[in-house]
Amino acid sequence: MSAALLVRALRDPASVAGLDASGWNGLIAAARAERLIGTLAFRLDGVTVPPALTPILSDARLDAAREARQALWEADRAAQALGDLGVRVVLLKGTAYAAAGLKAGQGRFIGDLDILVPVEAMAAVEQALIAAGWEWVKDDPYDDAYYRQWMHELPPMIHATRDRMIDVHHTILPLTARQTPDAAAMIADAVPVDDGLFVLSPEDRVVHAVAHMLADGDLQGGLRNLWDIHHLLADTDPDILASRAARHGLTPHVRQAQRLAAAFYGPGARLTLWDRLIRARLLARDGWGRETRKALVFAFFLRSHWIRMPPLMLARHLWTKWRKGHRPQ
Amino acid sequence: MRHHLTLRIGPATFRIGSAWPAPVAQLASLYAAYPQPSDAVADFTVRLQPTSLVRRFIRPSIFITGDHGLADAAPMSLSHGLLAAEMGMNLQMALGWRRHLLLHASSVEKDGRVLVMTGESGSGKSTLAALLGERGWRFMGDEFALLDLDSGAILPFPRLVSLKNRAIDVVAGQVGEGRMGPLLAATAKGDIRHMVPRHDAVARMGQGAMPALLLFPRFGHAADMRAVGQAEIFMRLTQASTNYVALGEPAFTALTRFVRDVPARAIDFPTGEDAIAMVERLWEEMA
Amino acid sequence: MTATKLYRRDGADAVTACALDDIVLLYHPRSGQTHMVISPVPEILDQLVDGGPASVAQIHDRLARSFDLGPADEAMDEIAAHLDALVALGLVRPA
Repeated sequence: MSAALLVRALRDPASVAGLDASGWNGLIAAARAERLIGTLAFRLDGVTVPPALTPILSDARLDAAREARQALWEADRAAQALGDLGVRVVLLKGTAYAAAGLKAGQGRFIGDLDILVPVEAMAAVEQALIAAGWEWVKDDPYDDAYYRQWMHELPPMIHATRDRMIDVHHTILPLTARQTPDAAAMIADAVPVDDGLFVLSPEDRVVHAVAHMLADGDLQGGLRNLWDIHHLLADTDPDILASRAARHGLTPHVRQAQRLAAAFYGPGARLTLWDRLIRARLLARDGWGRETRKALVFAFFLRSHWIRMPPLMLARHLWTKWRKGHRPQ
Repeated sequence: MRHHLTLRIGPATFRIGSAWPAPVAQLASLYAAYPQPSDAVADFTVRLQPTSLVRRFIRPSIFITGDHGLADAAPMSLSHGLLAAEMGMNLQMALGWRRHLLLHASSVEKDGRVLVMTGESGSGKSTLAALLGERGWRFMGDEFALLDLDSGAILPFPRLVSLKNRAIDVVAGQVGEGRMGPLLAATAKGDIRHMVPRHDAVARMGQGAMPALLLFPRFGHAADMRAVGQAEIFMRLTQASTNYVALGEPAFTALTRFVRDVPARAIDFPTGEDAIAMVERLWEEMA
Repeated sequence: MTATKLYRRDGADAVTACALDDIVLLYHPRSGQTHMVISPVPEILDQLVDGGPASVAQIHDRLARSFDLGPADEAMDEIAAHLDALVALGLVRPA
């Protein structure tokens, strides 16, 4: 299983010493599929690798540097567009890690810009972004209504000339989810970075990453999310983390993430049965970078919708999506 | 995957896996003269996989993916499996190659200097490169020209030449059946047949050379020739590059240098024979 | 109000320029974008190279030392429009 190989290489870079060509091919395919190739390249900096790997890894490092630069530029553009509103704009996920210079951001794939703003500022933020050149991506009224009514964000917007997406959140989980994190408290405790922008406090960063991975997602990209969490945990105070997790209603999820992060990337941990299922899902990738264990992956896809929506609404939502040709990967 | 092959073309190594034997067997035979190291670390993985388990056996349809893929790529019929493999490799190069500036262009070399031809699909750049490759020029590639960011040289990427529709008979008549692949009828781009480049193109696929002339060919028009402004050339070349943005400032520097140093012309031509005469004349005058 | 607006260039927004024919290409590393501009945009950017804030009138006066700009109010309208376009691109910032 190449995902297991990837986890081992990230945890212990020296472990790549024994790999043959087929092992390397599996490792690289898995790292690309999990969007961890940049992270892997940084981890393997200074480790002796076969000559064919040197350009592959240096390409990945260059791509990661460009990702970070572009993400910070998008943040700069958002700061410029929203600067006059007088609201706190909190960077989330990869852009936040890059802006704060965190280890979790090193080599990380970033993609869209995610920001958190106070719910009462949503309309003003929407207007200001449109004035600065962002526009709606979806022209599907069902999706638009769904986002606005049930999700924790505006429908995604894309910048008309730069072609980059922004997701504007007002809380960190869909309103239909069972947990109800306190977004106002997260914004109040956020810490400043450059350009008048903010990032979450160290403990809230963990809570958010955990909510995104375990309470919200279908575990796509889970190995990367868990890598983030592993590094974010190092900056936290355990007591504050426990109290923040309780405040946001995510104590079991944070504990589970701590166990999984320790089991995958740290010194190890005792896993529950449920943890083991998640582990099996996260490691479901073969030597060609393909997802294996389709049934398990599909079960997590269904569950990710189930935990966010009441059953009847879920059925209606999936029916509407699938009729339009959408299929889980 | 059950059927697989590792293949080196120019500076890139591909690991191609397939759920079916036919595409891999066709690749192995048409690329017989290329390095096929079985134990190499590949730059890219290409996967030809069924769109679903049922589609592996019944009206088999291929989903092309790999390290880099397009979620909305249309599936292809198994009878076009060779084309799917070629498209899979092109996709990896287009989305993932970072070691050179990738220009969507054909290129041929003579006396240590390179002629680069760029244009839309149907412009004739592929056929022209194939024909010149049979007449004293070294064929370097019909799809991607690789511009070295430091030296400014063009490096070859001499994959199989993909000939479409009318070009098939024109070229097949000159090179003979032995170097032609199977006819892939009625693909999304019409009929396609692949041609194996001459031996020297493969043997020297590691050797680059400095560019001496840039042409914008256009097939199917009355013979004509125009100068093209440098700013327009720059814009057209950025549009013809899939990794210009990804490479950042080194690409800007290399491309502006290319535009300033390499003379360029747009040429229109009614037939391949006219084009060859025009190219040979321009080459004498300008390169 | 155009008359009181100030503009500046951030050192981090430095560009690499290359002239091709009568077009100037500007590569802006911070955004990874290549911009194609024509006169008087490169000249306006040059007036802000010291990083200090300047008004449209100040930029106009600096340009007028080297170029014949014609009637001042028309020239200032044009300079202001270019500056706002440059702000939208992120090459110039409101000061």
